[in-house]
Amino acid sequence: MLKFLYEHLHKLRRAVQILVVLVFIAVPILNDMGITIIFGTLYSISIGNLDIVDPALTLQNILMVKELPVVMLLGALIPLAVALLLGRVFCGWACPYNLIAEYGDKLRRKLRPKSVKKQNRNPKNPIYWIVFGIIFLVLMITGLPLVTYFSLPGLITAQMADLLFLGTVGIEILLVLVILLLEVFLSPRFWCRFVCPVGATLALARSGRTMRVNFDAEKCTCAPAEFPCNKACPIDLNPRKAGIYPYCFNCGECVDTCRSFGKALTFTMQPLEERNINLNHRVRELERS
Amino acid sequence: MFSLFRKFLEQLTGKHPPLRPPGAIPEKEFEKKCIRCRKCVEVCPYDSIEVAHGEWGIKMGTPIIYAREIPCYLCMKCPPVCPSNALLPITQKEEVKMGLAVINEVTCLPFNGVICRACYERCPIYRKAITLRDEIYPVVYEEYCTGCGICENVCLTNPSSIVVNSKHFTNIMKIGENE
Repeated sequence: MLKFLYEHLHKLRRAVQILVVLVFIAVPILNDMGITIIFGTLYSISIGNLDIVDPALTLQNILMVKELPVVMLLGALIPLAVALLLGRVFCGWACPYNLIAEYGDKLRRKLRPKSVKKQNRNPKNPIYWIVFGIIFLVLMITGLPLVTYFSLPGLITAQMADLLFLGTVGIEILLVLVILLLEVFLSPRFWCRFVCPVGATLALARSGRTMRVNFDAEKCTCAPAEFPCNKACPIDLNPRKAGIYPYCFNCGECVDTCRSFGKALTFTMQPLEERNINLNHRVRELERS
Repeated sequence: MFSLFRKFLEQLTGKHPPLRPPGAIPEKEFEKKCIRCRKCVEVCPYDSIEVAHGEWGIKMGTPIIYAREIPCYLCMKCPPVCPSNALLPITQKEEVKMGLAVINEVTCLPFNGVICRACYERCPIYRKAITLRDEIYPVVYEEYCTGCGICENVCLTNPSSIVVNSKHFTNIMKIGENE
């Protein structure tokens, strides 16, 4: 089972991503026909009596309304539990915006080949949390439900539902277009890397035992000449270096690519050991020499 | 142009509260609590609930009922599905207080000598929310009116002589009248 997963990581991920889009096309159509077993959007979805709620929205409602919404708290448990176990797999495997942005990024690499670096640098950690803090501070002061508009998976599925169920589309959809254009022509994948409050909330649920990409320097065969794993990363991280979290959403593209080389990159639930950090140091020394 | 901008601003600041689905909390809190998840929209069997668009400013994405097009038939399916309690989970249609119907006696047919019982006979809180004075003139009773908008929908005149306004909206109107 695990071996099968490893062998078809890329194909499986695309299948899951497309399946999610198909589900959110089917849901409003089924609802229109009167079948309401599944209804809702990625803001909040009900499957039978089970409610799943975007944890970023739960946080928004707690901070803005200043009372505890019980259903939303319970609904946020499932996404947070998945994030605690497997990391931000929602972003990499389910988010419809990521699917669009990945193709946008392919376009970016074709249009602006100069923006493709041979070796990526992992962003500094605090930027992510500073942006996250600012978003929630602004919404607490102004009372504007910012997360609702910044939660692109919810926004996209909600607009899809509006289009299929009511036949109308709101101007919010332009936000997706603007962000996509900015990502293609200005700052590659800045939304998923620095802004998205949904990803940041999921990143909060990270422990030492959360699934992560492990790099075994002893097995790495292509460094320091080539960096196929760097090229494969959809959000321009360097899985060979420390500090890919909280940005990495465990999509497994680097793991998939590395399988045709030394199989140095693998998924693991084991906490990061001192040994690996020492190995990273050794690789850096090797690179320098 | 300026009036359009002012209208936009008014809607932005919530001076023009729209008709909300049954169980909705006061407008100011509703804007904050509603997470725009569209569950109430999708679960409505009558397609009564529409989604507010850009012209509603900060309210965009929230559920709105345009009673003249499709009113709320008080099936009470939407209040329990709301995850954020922007719609309180009420179950009895008599508990609903979405708004209040107001009759325009200038255009209303019975006040003009034509017998018409359209709103009186279709009212779901039959013979309570709308009664006939002298067996002819329709009168709305605030304590029973749910604000579902069926009366506005069935009114024969164009524009409708009975209009349902959000509860919040009618309160503002009353303050204005007293002054």
